[in-house]
Amino acid sequence: MAQVRIEHVFKRFGSVTAVNDFNLVVEDGEFVSILGPSGCGKTTTLRMIAGFERATEGEIYIGDKCVSSSRKNTFLPPEKRDIGMVFQSYAVWPHMTVLDNVGYPLKIQKVPKEERVKRVKEMLGLVHLEEYAERYPHQLSGGQQQRVALARALVARPGLLLLDEPLSNLDAKLRESMRFEILALQKELGITVVYVTHDQAEAMAMSNRVVVMSKGLVQQIGEPHDIYSNPANKMVADFIGLVNFLPGEVADGRIRIAGMATSFPNTSNLTGEVTIAVRPENITLSKDNGTMPGMLTHRFYLGDSVDYRVQVGEELVRVIVKGADLKQFKDGEKVFLDFEKILVFDKE
Amino acid sequence: MSLFSRLNSKVLVISISVLLLVYFVIFPMGILIFDSLYFNDHFNFSNYKDVYSTMVNWRALTNTVELSLMVMAASVIVTFPLAWLVGRTNLPGKKTYRTLLVASYMIPPYVGAIAWVQLLNPSVGYLNQIFKWLFNLQQAPFDIYTFGGLAWVLTLFYSPFAFITISRAMEKMDPTLEEAARVSGASPLKTLIDITLPLMAPSILAGGLLVFIAAGSCFGIPAIVGMPGNIEVMTTRIVTYIYMGDEQGIRDATALATSLMLLANSLLFFMTWMLGRKDYTTISGKSTRPNMVELGKWKWPAFIGVGIYSMVAVVIPLFSILLTSLLKSMSKPIGLDNISLESWLPVITSSQYMESIWNSVLYAVIAATIGTILSVFVAYLSVKTRVKGRSLPDLLTIIGGSTPSIVIALALVITFSGNFGLNLYSTMWILIVSYLVKYMTMSVRTIAASLSQVHISLEEAALNSGASWLRTCKDIILPLIAPSVIAGWFLIFMPSFYELTMSLLLYSGDTKTIGVLLYELQTYADTQNASVLSVIILSIVLLGNIILNKISKGNVGI
Repeated sequence: MAQVRIEHVFKRFGSVTAVNDFNLVVEDGEFVSILGPSGCGKTTTLRMIAGFERATEGEIYIGDKCVSSSRKNTFLPPEKRDIGMVFQSYAVWPHMTVLDNVGYPLKIQKVPKEERVKRVKEMLGLVHLEEYAERYPHQLSGGQQQRVALARALVARPGLLLLDEPLSNLDAKLRESMRFEILALQKELGITVVYVTHDQAEAMAMSNRVVVMSKGLVQQIGEPHDIYSNPANKMVADFIGLVNFLPGEVADGRIRIAGMATSFPNTSNLTGEVTIAVRPENITLSKDNGTMPGMLTHRFYLGDSVDYRVQVGEELVRVIVKGADLKQFKDGEKVFLDFEKILVFDKE
Repeated sequence: MSLFSRLNSKVLVISISVLLLVYFVIFPMGILIFDSLYFNDHFNFSNYKDVYSTMVNWRALTNTVELSLMVMAASVIVTFPLAWLVGRTNLPGKKTYRTLLVASYMIPPYVGAIAWVQLLNPSVGYLNQIFKWLFNLQQAPFDIYTFGGLAWVLTLFYSPFAFITISRAMEKMDPTLEEAARVSGASPLKTLIDITLPLMAPSILAGGLLVFIAAGSCFGIPAIVGMPGNIEVMTTRIVTYIYMGDEQGIRDATALATSLMLLANSLLFFMTWMLGRKDYTTISGKSTRPNMVELGKWKWPAFIGVGIYSMVAVVIPLFSILLTSLLKSMSKPIGLDNISLESWLPVITSSQYMESIWNSVLYAVIAATIGTILSVFVAYLSVKTRVKGRSLPDLLTIIGGSTPSIVIALALVITFSGNFGLNLYSTMWILIVSYLVKYMTMSVRTIAASLSQVHISLEEAALNSGASWLRTCKDIILPLIAPSVIAGWFLIFMPSFYELTMSLLLYSGDTKTIGVLLYELQTYADTQNASVLSVIILSIVLLGNIILNKISKGNVGI
């Protein structure tokens, strides 16, 4: 298996910097997701690891091999990098059977046919496709095709598995079950994984660590829990989970929310105008007791929770209460809010 | 009630368009087949036996097949690397090359033939003279009036069919299919062999078959390049027989034409069936920018190679025609003192020439206008309605388009000479009908493609807002498809304007078109006037294509 080291990698297309000073060490056997909105540079980063794009600057190591270096002018083509890759479009070859698709990397390595078939069958067993070896891709469902792609990426036991939004073409239910299958396979094979997605739930659920990217820049690298509860900046807070942003101000060591009497102790080293972020589930709502008075304007019943909008001064605050009863409050009713946990960011 | 009447108007429109198309497309072809099989009050194959027992006809058939196979093979071998270089590599100047490589598609084939006769005829061909001078040769190195020469010109002018088909398939192919092979350990070459070529095989074959059919159905090039060297093909034989004018001649022509029609149409249907098979469709996700292959040290050699091909295929022939049209005297050496617009004057002032140009413009405008209106109906029926038989008119126009021109012309001659009620012979209408039969399908395709982009909900939203169905058509549908309607008009206008084959069989003294006039000039060896006329044709076609490109934003072109 392999450690992946990415050091000061830049990718420029003309005057556009798609990836800006990317640094990351993926440990042997680790599952790391690169998460971000479309156009943030995550796919470009993955394609540089794979060797489909050439880094303008910086170095990439897979295991102890330097696969790309602008300084040493090294560039290993994809076929020399010992990686497996799964694409969003599955990319299973329509003119080959499942057996031939999965066996192709072994065929390239000139593994004798008998052993090849044995290893392919083993691999197909792992992805629950034993029965489908002789089928052609057009006879398979989307989920099955994606499993073929996964088996093909893993059959040669590469040191590193790259996944480029592998689940985004599947429907919601299948997507969830495939998450577990990919994780189980990764655990079983102990392979290092770099996973690209724009789906934060997917990244949170699957990864040891998450890299959040935006506009070519790495915003934060950390464990899922860490990123959720201590986002490094407004962008991360906004992209991961739901959040209310409120204008605020630091004065006399306290943080004050604009236009309200309530204040919080200043845990940051910021001064002057700030932005206060609070997640909807970190707010409590009560009829008669609390620090911030407001007026309830809308309620949405979500099954496991109720999603409220409360007008507090000039701001409309979103509050989510788990297991709440819709009838507990009425629209237009006066309510009180309490913030259990707030985050403070620069105004911009 | 309004729904009921609308349904009825749809049925009415379908019935009328089906009747018109059956009458002008299917009926003449039926008559043609009937005539070819009916002899001495019996159905028999004696016409075919007669025709093919003559050596020259049998030779014409084998020539046609051999020639088309050669042209098909050469086209695929040449255009696959070209399409790959232009579409998938970092070849410099790709955009210009793409335009140049499809440009010969819009040059009338017979104009190309005239150009190559000027360049490579054994006595005075420009290139032959240059080679003689360069290498101090006693004899001209090339002779265009040979089998090879014919194959050469056909390949240059019909290989764009293959280029366009193969390029499109390459663009449509999901690039991650190739990338998956690369990460599996395959080198770029191995990827090409194991993945790209097998996946492209149906499109390559389809492109090749298109070239085969086009080369086999072509009359202009074999007439100008082959006949002087006594190389006969099916189309030239058919014309020769029709020109004999007697009953025997026509009968022989029908047998030959029927054979040619069966060959062309069955290949086309085979091709459509092959491409329609679903096995090769794969889900494609976000279209990643295809990874451009770095050519490395091959970059500039490839640039020069493609450059030479484009020069030979497009630039040199066009230059030759322009040059010839500007020469003061064909017998004097080429030099600045021998160049002027002198030879243009008699052409522009000649009433005979101007009348032909005017005829061609007029017929093409009428054909394009009628054809576009019909195309809108046919396309709307097949794309937007659920009426039974809705795609029948569409199919009929496709059959018309896929039938060799010479066959259409012959079928119209024997059908509309008064034997079956309608006599269009030697009127301009028989020319217009022939253009419509042959070229309407292009316009239907274009309009149907754009209509299918107009989602039904747009129409429903207008109906919901209280607009009547006619109002909806006027306010919503027509504005949205207007560019494709105009494009469709040009797609009929341009080929009709420079049409040769059908016009040659259907014109009369008063209805001579520019194509016919040019053909006559060329066969009377009036090279210079032929060149002037060619330049005029090319200018009009070029202008049409520029307009077409502007309107369709580069999506449609001849």
